[in-house]
Amino acid sequence: MGFGRYVTARVLWAGVVSLIITTITFLLLSAAPNPDVQRAATQAALQGGDPAEAVERARELRGLDEPLYVRYFDFVQGVYTLDWGWSSSRSQPVIEAVGNALYYTAQYSIPWTILTVILGPLVGVYSAANMYSWRDHAATGFAFFGYAIPNFFFGIILLLIFGVWLEVIPIVYNTDVAVFSVENAIQLAIPVFVLVTGSIGAVMRVSRNESAEFQNADFMKTAKAKGVSPLRAYAYHVMRPTLVPLSTTLVGQLLALFLGSSLLVEVVFGIPGLGRLTFEALLSQDTNLVLGTTLFFTFVAVVGNLIEDLVFTVLDPRISYDDR
Amino acid sequence: MATEGSERFDQVDWSDLSRSGRFDLSINSIGMLLTTLPLALLAVYDTQFIGDRTPTFEFIGLDRTFEAVDFFFIFTLFLAFWYLVLPLYQNPRMTRYYWKEFKRNRPAVVSMVWLGIVFVGGIIGPLVMSAPQQELLVAYQPPVFTSVVESTPATCVGEVMNGRCHGTWEYPLGTTNAGRDVFTMIVYGMTISMQIAFITTTIVATIGITFGTLSAYSGGWVDEIMMRFVDIILSFPTFLMFLLILYIYGGGLGMFIVVFSLFAWGGTARYVRSKSLSISEEEFIKASRISGASTYQVIRGHVVPNVASSIITQLTLLIPGFLLFEAQLAFLGVGDSTVPSWGQLISAGRSDLSYAPWIVLAPGIVLFLTILAFNFLGDALLDALNPEAEAESE
Repeated sequence: MGFGRYVTARVLWAGVVSLIITTITFLLLSAAPNPDVQRAATQAALQGGDPAEAVERARELRGLDEPLYVRYFDFVQGVYTLDWGWSSSRSQPVIEAVGNALYYTAQYSIPWTILTVILGPLVGVYSAANMYSWRDHAATGFAFFGYAIPNFFFGIILLLIFGVWLEVIPIVYNTDVAVFSVENAIQLAIPVFVLVTGSIGAVMRVSRNESAEFQNADFMKTAKAKGVSPLRAYAYHVMRPTLVPLSTTLVGQLLALFLGSSLLVEVVFGIPGLGRLTFEALLSQDTNLVLGTTLFFTFVAVVGNLIEDLVFTVLDPRISYDDR
Repeated sequence: MATEGSERFDQVDWSDLSRSGRFDLSINSIGMLLTTLPLALLAVYDTQFIGDRTPTFEFIGLDRTFEAVDFFFIFTLFLAFWYLVLPLYQNPRMTRYYWKEFKRNRPAVVSMVWLGIVFVGGIIGPLVMSAPQQELLVAYQPPVFTSVVESTPATCVGEVMNGRCHGTWEYPLGTTNAGRDVFTMIVYGMTISMQIAFITTTIVATIGITFGTLSAYSGGWVDEIMMRFVDIILSFPTFLMFLLILYIYGGGLGMFIVVFSLFAWGGTARYVRSKSLSISEEEFIKASRISGASTYQVIRGHVVPNVASSIITQLTLLIPGFLLFEAQLAFLGVGDSTVPSWGQLISAGRSDLSYAPWIVLAPGIVLFLTILAFNFLGDALLDALNPEAEAESE
């Protein structure tokens, strides 16, 4: 199988996975009573009307009286043409609400990702170069600390120290400041720090263990014997092969954090991003919005896994396409 | 990693070993059956014969109700005892070897002690300590050795000096806004954490090992389809899907455990598959095949035991993730608020954080230490059980 065919197959497979997850979401939703319909029934009963009739009308309004397969095709078509419906709690189209929230999520996600991707391997290779020194132990300790402390708990504690006691950061995120301003940098510093400590540990550990392997490789000995400066030797001969296995874990790690922790961090710091949007949609029982945000996160995960696989095959020519 | 066999070749009891028919049960399986039977009867009695609101142990006068989660937890405890602890006792030589390897890792030994405390506390604690009661009069007591401004607690139980209320040993970690003892609540939370740890591990291990070995031994297109299925499981956003399920159906701790373990076995299955593929190429598998062992006997007697020891590490590293998810859900307020978990305590104390930080700090630190301990333990087990992996990484 050539590279082109591998990429095609992999992209098609990503499409299949997203379709399956969409289907499961649809089945979950259609198997459960719709809260909108129940609300209509309650309202009718309160106003002295006939609840059964109100249910009927509400179902008809939302097209719930059609057969399952018709609704399914409508649903899938809506999902893939980005027609995600109307959010009743925010009075705007779901896609617009997601777009607005993404604006805030990106403001802390981008610096967080860049910091993790740059600092993680650097510290990892550095501690491999100084293995079993106190610097290595300190880095390892930090990695384990960041890995083990629950992000939301760490966030609360830092908010207590810097927000409540020292009063250097605002307790609730202020949306009025400009994106590239000092105020914004200050209020995003703690969330970014919390997320970086959470994600950098795994990256550091993997790059430390992987680069330890290359440190005593023959090509390193040759480089040293030729008189290559240590900095150049590490940058060219250790860092590069380390990045290949690292890239497989990196995307998955970041995605897992993005899906789980961003929600918590946004709730703790009051950032009106995607995670909070999901959470508020759940609380206000806004079915369309819940669905929209869930599907958005799902697609991010599917595309992330796709990119990870493709990057891996491009970076490492030893992988044969047939095995995968 | 032989889990069976005697110390010396000439002492092997061959008549004992040749008794390997399908229906001859080992002492472990007999013990397992004997202990599970009363439990199953109790479960049937609980679900069929008494009402939903009647406590399970009313017939002996105890006011204690067992949920499905409790029954399953005890079942997994039996499993762990008969198939994990007892074999270690039966094979003292390997146990000594593992212990020697394990002992070299100092942090892991400390982690083991800590997890031991959490385990014992989780099992015994709820039996000897009564559930924390709401007592508004003693709300916001500070932990022992610390003090707060006198106006914070409703009435100070300890002594008041210079306008500050001091903590007492009656409430070693202070009390919540409802006057519940934080220490008791943490002990009750240990039970929840251990239930999550044991039950999810059992489900993940069962599905993962079965699926992985089946896939490896089926081969061909069945293998292909099964592995593609694992791909889907792996790319499933479980946390969000669980929020969706909670939103639609609602659900408690049992639902949490089932959903999360049903979507967590992907990595295990993949690992088991590749491991069993490499094991089935080994010489001793060929030897037993030539001697006439059936595929079932090969899988049951050689592949599964060899795979099991190496997935223990992977499972240990899965548990902290579950504990974290539970705490996050509880913190968001969408978990089951009747379950006294650490996450619930953290979320309960959040609004009082600025003047009563111990309500959040105590369970948060316990959670942090437990997650840390599982990570250290997983690392050490990797080195102790897989010497080759260590050799590779060094």
